[in-house]
Amino acid sequence: MSKSFNFSLQDALFIGFCATLLVALKSMLRLKLGISGHSMFLMTFFYLICYGVVGRVGSVSACGLQSGLVAMILSVGKGGPLILIKFALPAIAMDLSLILVAGLFTLRWRCVLVGLIGCFAWATKGWVEDLLVGMTMQVALVQFALSMLKGGMFTLLAALMVPPVLERLKSHDLLYKESAK
Amino acid sequence: MRVKGRHKATKYRGAAGFDYHRLESTATQKSSYVTAASLILVLILSSAAFLIPDRYLPGLILCEMLLVIHGVYRRGNPGVIARVFIVQLIITMSLYYLIHGQSQLAQGAVAVLRILLAFIPGWWLSITCAPERIGEVLTWVLPVKWAFVIAASISLLPYMTVELREIYHIQCLRGARISPKALRDPRNWSELINCVIFPLLIQLLKLSRQIAVAAQLRYFGKSKQPTHWR
Repeated sequence: MSKSFNFSLQDALFIGFCATLLVALKSMLRLKLGISGHSMFLMTFFYLICYGVVGRVGSVSACGLQSGLVAMILSVGKGGPLILIKFALPAIAMDLSLILVAGLFTLRWRCVLVGLIGCFAWATKGWVEDLLVGMTMQVALVQFALSMLKGGMFTLLAALMVPPVLERLKSHDLLYKESAK
Repeated sequence: MRVKGRHKATKYRGAAGFDYHRLESTATQKSSYVTAASLILVLILSSAAFLIPDRYLPGLILCEMLLVIHGVYRRGNPGVIARVFIVQLIITMSLYYLIHGQSQLAQGAVAVLRILLAFIPGWWLSITCAPERIGEVLTWVLPVKWAFVIAASISLLPYMTVELREIYHIQCLRGARISPKALRDPRNWSELINCVIFPLLIQLLKLSRQIAVAAQLRYFGKSKQPTHWR
């Protein structure tokens, strides 16, 4: 596991900057409207950009953990150590799915699929929380479906924007090595 | 030369009986331990809000009321708690009313209460603990490289924010549809990505390369005992 987090310093710094920017933008644009899926837009976008630029499995989880830690330090969102799970869980789910689908589809469809799996993990986390606080199964399932629907929409929008951005970065010769195709 | 001078000065102060440097460092160490204890307390209280049975809830409510009083005393804004409570109450109660009718509204209220109890410790932590102390506590458990990355990212956040603002204002002047009003429409979000985020990503790539070279030229990662900057 430690080997998969062993990035070069430059990659690690880029991941850290993306994570910090994600947290800063989230608080600046005030997209934190309770349970709605706005936050999935920024999360999916920056996680997939990290994957595209660094081009290695583990980069998305690293970005997720970093954003959780930065959000905890800067007390963005609901604060406290539980925010770490909110950021890290979709990232880890996306990374695990990347192991499975690496090289299977075109970049565009891979981004959409991986983003939706991240959104599923995020909605599942909300569902488990709802069940833990004692909501009935029906209410929790309705909440889950609503988050999946709203979050899925934003995820789809973000995932479709990633391949053109990566393409432009590559055409400007800014990606210094062979990244995700 | 400067370091030597400072060391000498500390020695003289130590000889005179006023070792401010040591005093300051002991105070910092103490406040780091307090922050670590607060982090663990917050983790326990937030998890308890999800996990403990209903009969222990009054005890938890009492604990968290003390936290709220302390938070308000430290000039925290209790309006945030009220807003979370009202938003959750409206959504959850309306869902309960639509699905179960009036019979299980009490259960819904308890669920909302638990969500609020999970939120309050985080709010209290953000008021009582300084960000740099939380960061220092995290470096105790993180690998050196990632601790450096977090420290570098947070200290460069003002620089990134200035860059972001500059790019945003320039693109606004050029007529991009990215004003706060235009951004309410998700169709304009791609414009935000193309006009603001894309140039910013270029800056970040450049910045990460510069910082990595600068750190490596200062032998970062070569020594087993890294120095810390307080």
